[in-house]
Parts: sequence; C-alpha cells; structure tokens
Amino acid sequence: MRFGPGPRIAVAALLRVCLVLPADGSIAAETPTPPAAAACRDCHGAGGEGNAAGGIPRLAGQSAGYLEQELVDYSSGNRTNPIMQKFAKALSERDRKTVSEYFASLATPYDVARSTANAAELSRGRELAQQGSEAKRVQACDNCHGPDGAGVPHAAPFLAGQYSGYVASALHSFLNGSRKNDPGQLMTSVVERLDDADIAAVADYFSSLASND
Amino acid sequence: MQRLKAVDVVVIGVGMVGSIVAKELATAGYRVVGLERGQPRFTVPEFQGPAIHDELRFDIRKALMQDNTREPMTFRNHASETALPIRRWESFLPGTGLGGSMVHWNGQTYRFQANDFELATWTRARYGRNFLDPEVTIQDWGVTYDELEPHYDRFEYLLGTSGKAGNLRGKIQPGGDPHESPRSREYPTPPQKEHFSGAMFRKAATNLGYHAFPQPSSNLSQPYTNTEGIKLNACVFCGFCERYACEHFAKSVPQTIILPVLLANANFELRTGCQVQRINLDSTKKQATGVTYIDAAGNEFEQPAALVITATFALNNVRMLLLSGIGKPYEPGTGKGVVGRNYAYQTMSSVASFFDDDVIVNPFMASGASGTLINDFAGDNFDHSGLGFVGGSFIGAVNTNGRPIQYHPVPPGTPAWGKDWKRAVMKHYNHTVMFSVHGSSVSTRRNYLDLDPTYRDAWGQPLLRMTFDFPQNDLKMADFVTGKAVEIGKAMGAKQVVGAPRKAPYTTTQYQTTHNTGGAVMGGDPQTSVVNRYLQSWDVPNVFVIGASAYPQNASWNPTGTLGALTYWSIDAIKNRYMRNPGRLVSA
Repeated sequence: MRFGPGPRIAVAALLRVCLVLPADGSIAAETPTPPAAAACRDCHGAGGEGNAAGGIPRLAGQSAGYLEQELVDYSSGNRTNPIMQKFAKALSERDRKTVSEYFASLATPYDVARSTANAAELSRGRELAQQGSEAKRVQACDNCHGPDGAGVPHAAPFLAGQYSGYVASALHSFLNGSRKNDPGQLMTSVVERLDDADIAAVADYFSSLASND
Repeated sequence: MQRLKAVDVVVIGVGMVGSIVAKELATAGYRVVGLERGQPRFTVPEFQGPAIHDELRFDIRKALMQDNTREPMTFRNHASETALPIRRWESFLPGTGLGGSMVHWNGQTYRFQANDFELATWTRARYGRNFLDPEVTIQDWGVTYDELEPHYDRFEYLLGTSGKAGNLRGKIQPGGDPHESPRSREYPTPPQKEHFSGAMFRKAATNLGYHAFPQPSSNLSQPYTNTEGIKLNACVFCGFCERYACEHFAKSVPQTIILPVLLANANFELRTGCQVQRINLDSTKKQATGVTYIDAAGNEFEQPAALVITATFALNNVRMLLLSGIGKPYEPGTGKGVVGRNYAYQTMSSVASFFDDDVIVNPFMASGASGTLINDFAGDNFDHSGLGFVGGSFIGAVNTNGRPIQYHPVPPGTPAWGKDWKRAVMKHYNHTVMFSVHGSSVSTRRNYLDLDPTYRDAWGQPLLRMTFDFPQNDLKMADFVTGKAVEIGKAMGAKQVVGAPRKAPYTTTQYQTTHNTGGAVMGGDPQTSVVNRYLQSWDVPNVFVIGASAYPQNASWNPTGTLGALTYWSIDAIKNRYMRNPGRLVSA
C-alpha cells in the first residue's frame, strides 16, 4: 500500500503548487506587499523564502491559519523567541492576519540545493516521517503533516522543503520549554521519544524534499 | 497431529481479555501460550496513515473483522426458520487479529450500575413479581457492583480513560453523571473536549431538567502513563476510531496498554494464525487436557495445558464450548440446557436533528467517544411503573465521525440516489446533529445460540447459529426513550427532528452495534448459568470463559468497561485461589 518515493514527491509538489495559487489566478510576484510584512522580509526574505544558514524558516506557501496562530502564540508567550515575540507583539490582530495571508499566497521557488545528509540518515528520516517507529512508540509525522509533509492547512504546517536547521530547532523547542503551543502535547510527546540523531534525520529528510517540479 | 510440550495455561484469543489474563499469569511465573487465529499487528507499521484511513477497505469491506469467507455465522429471526450464513458483516463486527475487536472499538468506557447486576431481584422488588413479560429471562449476575468496583477502577487506570466522575464514594460531583454508582476515585484523565453538537445537547438537556455529562473516552484527552508503565498520547480527533485502528498511540487497545509488557515476558509465547478447533477433555469429560489447533500452514497440533482460558469474542466463546462439548446446550423448546441461552444484544435507536446553514457542526472532527450524554432514561433511573418494560437507554450527541462514504444524514423523503440526494447530502452534512439512543437488551426464551446443522467453516467445523429478534420489552423501551430524545432535539432548536426507534424484525444487513452478549452466562445456579461468579465452567473446572458471553442480559451502556472489570475479577480469583488449589471455586 505504500508509494515509492518518486511519485509521492511529485504529488506533494503538485499539492503545494495548487495550494499556494491565489484564487483569482494571479501569479505570486504580482501580489502587493502589505506594509506590515515589510519587517518580516528583512529576515524571512523578500519572497518569504527564509534562510537556511540562519535557521530562519520558509514562510512562502505556509498555511495562513498556521502562521497567524504562531504570531498569536509568540505574542502571548506560548512560543518564545526574543526577536519574533517583539515583532508579533507589535502587530495588530488585523496585521497578523494580513501578513499571514500574504506569505501563504507566495509561490516563491524553493532553494533546491542538494542535501549534505548521507543516504542512511535520509533513509532513517524517511522511515520516521512515513512510518514512525514501534520500538520508540512514535507515529509517522505524515499522519498529521500530510503526505510527505505537504502540510494540512491550518492544523499542521508543511515540513517538506523546510530548512533542516529550523525543523530541528523547532523540534527541540518543544523539549526545552520555549514552545508550548501544541494542544494535548501532541508534538512534545513525540519529540521526547526521539534522540538527537532521529531529530537530525527527520529534519534533513523533510528538507531534502524541496522541489520546484 | 503433533503433540506439543505441556504448558501451565493456554489462552484462546489474544485480544483485550487474552492480553490481560496472559500478562497476569505470565508475571506470576506460569508458562502461558496465547493462540491467536489472526495476524500479528502493531501501531507501527500496520496502523499508520494514510492507509489506515481507507474507508472503502476498513468501513465497507471490514478489513479488521473475522474472515467470513472462512468463518461466518448463520442467522434466523425465529426457530421456525432456516438460518443462512451471514456473508458480509453489517449489523455487528467481530474483529480478528492480535488485539482482537478492541483494536477497532470507539473507546466508550462505561460502568454498569449497581442494580444492573441484580436486575431480576431489583425489578421484582420495585415493580412486583408479575411486572415482567413471561418470555423475559433476565437474572442476577452472581457478582455485585461493590465487588467489581476495584476491578473497574483497575481497568480504567490501565486504559487511562478520560472522563468526569459523578459519584465519588457516594458524594455527587458536579459535571459528572449523578446516576452512576459510587466510584472510589476520579477518572485517570479529564474528559475530552466537547463538540459543538455536544454543547448544544448539554444546554437543551439541562434546560429540560436532565443531567448532561461527558462521555467517558479511552481516546485520551492528554498524554498518560498507564499502570503497566506504558505511555499513551492525546487523541487528535481524526474521526477514524470505530472500524479502524489508531495511528497515534492515543486509543487504548492491547497494543497501546499491555502487549509491549506481555510480549517482553519470557513466560509468554504468542502464536498467531492458529485456529483452535476444540478444547480437549479427558474420558470423564470433567477435566480439560488442552486444546487442538490448526496453524496457518494447515498443520494440526495438540497443546496440552493444565488450565484453558477462552478469551475470544463473546459469540465465539459460546461456539468454542459447543464445539468442545462443555456444558449442556440450550433447548428453547423445553427451556433446559444453558450453553447458548440468554443471548442478548443492544437496542439501538437514533434521532437526527436538522438545522439551518448557520449551525455548523463539523461532524468530521471527532473521536469515537467525545459525546455528551444523559443517563436520566438509562437502566432503572426512571420509574417504569405502568410502562410495561424494563431497561432504558442513554441518550447522547455522540458524534463519532463524518466520513465521506458512510456519513450523509438526509431527512426522510430524500431520494436514495441521484442529483437530489447529492444536493441533500451537501445541504445537511455540516448542519445535522445525530443522537445515539443506546438501549438495553433483555434475554428471552426464544433468543439463543447453537451450532448450525448444515453450514461449516473452512476447517469443517459447524458454524454458530444465531436465533434472534427484538423482544417486545425492548421495542417498547426504544419507543419510549426515543420520544424523550426527540424532545431534546426540538429543545435544541432544530428545524426538523426525526426519531427512529428500533423496530422489528432484527436484520443483520444494517449496522447497529457489536455489543453481542450472553450465551455462556454467569450466575449462582448451574441450571441457569454456564459459568460461576468467577467465570469458571460449572462442568469443567479447569476451563474459564471470559467475555461479554457471561452477561445474563445487556445493560444500557457499551459493554467493554464491565468486561474489563470482570476480567480482572476473574483473573484475581484464578491467580490467588485457583492456581494455588485447582478445583471448583464455587461448589455447585
């Protein structure tokens, strides 16, 4: 019943493209930048492409509902980060919604630089992502984050193509207490059963799914 | 046939009951073999998405259920008819495979009330000797609620059940069910979040003077480390509980509550793909010598054992006794015999409340047990004088799913297919609240189980034959309680409320519930029971029969919580008394 890696990646990429196209059919480059998003662009890039080296996540094409919730959580302290909390608090409720919808609408190309992870690590990451581990009693990431981490808008962010460093630090943040915005401890209860090598493997695997096909 | 080395205990069926009893005995140092007819399966990889959310495979084609191309049952409504094999499960869904039927349960985890265990005595005392229809054969269980309470508690803490107590040691608790019998402590975890439909139900029921409470759920509200040291996760309300396995380690099933501990115990050996043919008896027919089974390759084995525990699905427990010649089969004509007697079910009615577009229900966001209920019309919680029936139903907005193939409530008069049907589905899908009216079932002289004289399974053994129709007692009950449920739907402000009280004849082609009970009932008198109060066979004392097969009749609630309590009650007696001094625990 399981699909091979090739066609699934293509399907996931197609899903992403479909999700990020604005309803009116205009192309992303023509979307005017809302003034409130100007501050975001300094770090997250003009196209919301993020920054791999800086561990700054890609926002382009991310679910608007998810982005808005994170801004709310930064603002309330449910998720902590000195820089993000400062910006999130400065945004009005309306601005949070506007910037979230703006970045969700962008179809900025992915940075498809080849992953430096070795094959064994990617294979372990893929196993955890698609199947989970009975030995660790961890379920597949894709159960909630969608096929190949394509995301389930609002509830679960996409992971496919997200930067490895960011994904790993986001996972660690559930353990170190800087992120408490997972109702039912859904993320915490998974991450606490993974070791550092598992976290790196799964982060590198999702990062390796960046594709503009 | 190959004769294997003798063991202390053989357990037939490694589901909920089998896992618990095997774990208790293996931990106590006994050599235990568990024989499971189905496949081994675990949360990873077998239960993972997206495959586990295949509605066609699991819901329509019943992939987790007993294979009825090889092992069906036959059915008829009345003894005057010829029974025919059930070729496709619909009305009820017996599971198969490691973990048993519990793998696909909804997690609704109730206790029965104290008077349920003494129903015959209680009913006569409250309503007089001539109150009951003479065809009704309800009887006392031989065990009391107070005796079972510690075992209910133990089972709930094994599962981590999410709920709110309504009666703590006799003190009524706000927010819980005030009708429940006293519990010694609070549920292990708080209730799951309430649905919008549940919130509407709560408001309307409260305004009518009823007592709403959250459904006790073994799809957990928060992470929980159980009494075996195993950690479960919180439920994500994916809407795929009943008929499916849980991919999140969030539903309490053998794989998430006990199997990891059992399978790590060197005293236990699991053998899957093993179809037990019979429990073998010695020449006196008063002592079991072990079991005979056929493995997946078709090889026949004899497994000798000092003690045999049959822990299969209720209906299959009864069949195992009949195939083995243990106990006298029931004869409906004379009323004599006990094996197969007092088969009962559950009397399920429903109410659909249709709202306008501005009431958005989100039916798809659900767990199998995140409803809101009342027990005001369950059991004997209301005066039955002049009503002409015993029993009752819980009523609740129990929204378990909104899956695309099976869930499409439409008002009466809607065409069954075509453009107008599709329009109606779109219009009502997100704006309808369904109530479950979950009713008790009395046992009667005419409803029973025996072996089919004609049809056999893939191994050549006679099939189980079910003879069942709804008793008048239960049809009257369904009518009365459904009327009360319709009033709640109206009080919710629905535009149209449609009540569907259960009607005869019983049909196996429409899903109702998998709460089949009785046939190997427990009690204090060998003339009217198959097993004693510890679930030990009256006839063959080294055979214990643990299952909902022991219920003398079925109460207003889902049976699993009570079965868990009975399992711990029985295994305690086996461990602490029987194993030290094998023999009858109760003299006949």
